[in-house]
Amino acid sequence: MNPYIPIAGMVVLATVFVLAAIPLSTVIGPARYNRTKYDSFECGLQATPQPTNGGRFSVKYYVTAMLFIMFDIEIVFLYPWAVAFGALDTLAVAAMILFIVTVVVAYYYDLRRGGLDWD
Amino acid sequence: MGIEDHVPSGVLLTTVEAIAGWTRKASFWPLTMGLACCAIEMMQYGGPRHDAGRWGQEVFRASPRQADLMIVSGRVSQKMAPVVRQLWDQMPNPKWCISMGVCASTGGMFNNYAIIQGVDHIVPVDMYVPGCPPRPDMLIDAVFKLREKELQWGPIGADRDKAISEKEAAALEAPALLEQKGLMR
Amino acid sequence: MSEKNSEGRDPKVVGTADNPVAGPEEVTKGELIAEGTGSASELASGPHAHLDRVLVPQTPTEGPVVTVRKGMWGPGHGSGDTSGFSGMTRIIEMPGTATPPFGGWFDDVADRVAELVPHFASRVMIWRGEITFVVLREKLLEVVKALRDDPALRFEVCMSVSGVHYPEMTGSELHAVYDLLSYTHNRRIRLEVTCPDGDAHIPSVVPVYPMANFHERETWDMFGIIFDGHPALTRILMPDDWVGHPQRKDYPLGGIPVEYKGAVVPPPDERRSYQA
Repeated sequence: MNPYIPIAGMVVLATVFVLAAIPLSTVIGPARYNRTKYDSFECGLQATPQPTNGGRFSVKYYVTAMLFIMFDIEIVFLYPWAVAFGALDTLAVAAMILFIVTVVVAYYYDLRRGGLDWD
Repeated sequence: MGIEDHVPSGVLLTTVEAIAGWTRKASFWPLTMGLACCAIEMMQYGGPRHDAGRWGQEVFRASPRQADLMIVSGRVSQKMAPVVRQLWDQMPNPKWCISMGVCASTGGMFNNYAIIQGVDHIVPVDMYVPGCPPRPDMLIDAVFKLREKELQWGPIGADRDKAISEKEAAALEAPALLEQKGLMR
Repeated sequence: MSEKNSEGRDPKVVGTADNPVAGPEEVTKGELIAEGTGSASELASGPHAHLDRVLVPQTPTEGPVVTVRKGMWGPGHGSGDTSGFSGMTRIIEMPGTATPPFGGWFDDVADRVAELVPHFASRVMIWRGEITFVVLREKLLEVVKALRDDPALRFEVCMSVSGVHYPEMTGSELHAVYDLLSYTHNRRIRLEVTCPDGDAHIPSVVPVYPMANFHERETWDMFGIIFDGHPALTRILMPDDWVGHPQRKDYPLGGIPVEYKGAVVPPPDERRSYQA
């Protein structure tokens, strides 16, 4: 424990400094309000007006994100199975094959329905 | 909030001013407002020969939120003026402005439709540096004078309110440039 | 002014009114100058068979003298012009038309363009080894397309589009000048298109040379020439709501009087004369 006490001390000191300096500057410093100070910085030009609630965007972004999540979860199941593969029996292989076949059916459906085409 | 603006006057105020002023002048970051040829000299001001890093100014911030000093170097055109003003407004207080070179101070050699005749038409200037372009040494002198006069002894709190009203009264009494006699022989 | 120069598009100093210079300097035969000695039959039979179709028929052979300017600005003596050039007299003129054959590769270019777009130029000027075709406004797009696409011409880039304002040339006050460069043949030519002040429209070359986009915006901003077919003709140098076109000859300098301690100095174009 002994060699780590100075490091812990440094971490505490840095945190204390930050937690003290920021509120202190907010409280002590001058507060002269100016409407432009709250505008976003756009190199001195007026910010381009943003459409309400972000504006409309294409559904392909949503579809891609959904597909990613699903296949990512499949990978989450595959990794521990692969790591422990040496100690597993034939039943585990069969179960995983069943799982993968299910996901492949979904993938084939997606492929033929055009979910993977960007345009 | 904003305690600095509400400090009452007294002996303690002078000490507080000295301390606050010293901390400000020791680390005092400029905003890049290099518009024309004076910007080259401003770059040399940060370069190795005339090293602005010696007094903490080697970081020229591109964002006004992080800058204390706006060095307007170069001629300000009609199209650029609202941009300069917007950036000045977006700088947090306390802030200062140096107008570097004759074009930024008075319009310089360009007395025409396209150039603002001095950036003090749009932002309040604390230090004017003549020259076309001024040498980096002259800019160093300007920054040092600004540090000594404005930053080190900049009034805060009640002193500041007093200084502002005094300056305003003096400006109202002062004769116009045109009425001052005998200076241009 | 009785000496008409057949050369010299740039303003040339002729000296003061009291001591006129001896005469136009002799140009050596080494320079490519207007020769105008070929006859139509000679041209038609030679390797450049279309040179007689370069110019619009009945083009006058002498260029117009645009104006005579005295001093640097203002009416000469008596204005605040203290530059030292207040006694200078300059003749602003267009050189006389160079008639085909022009000499050197100019003939190749002119011949090929005339083959594709007959009678495209109202004037051809050659000065200091550079050729300028004054192209008719209606034929500009065809000419420019031919210049870019034809393998013998291949002027791939339009280096710049500039404007000129000659207020004295009624009927063609505003000119737009296109400098074209050919990388493959290492050649440069210049096209000039004129338009009157009341109808300042010129077809835009942006569909052919997209690089001319900003240049045409600048010419619109500074001179007021409207380029038809330009995708976004807006002000580029002046603020978007500026009124007026600053580089025209009748646009004032716009200076303000400068206040010193005890004196006011007016802007340079409004100062009084400092001579008796």
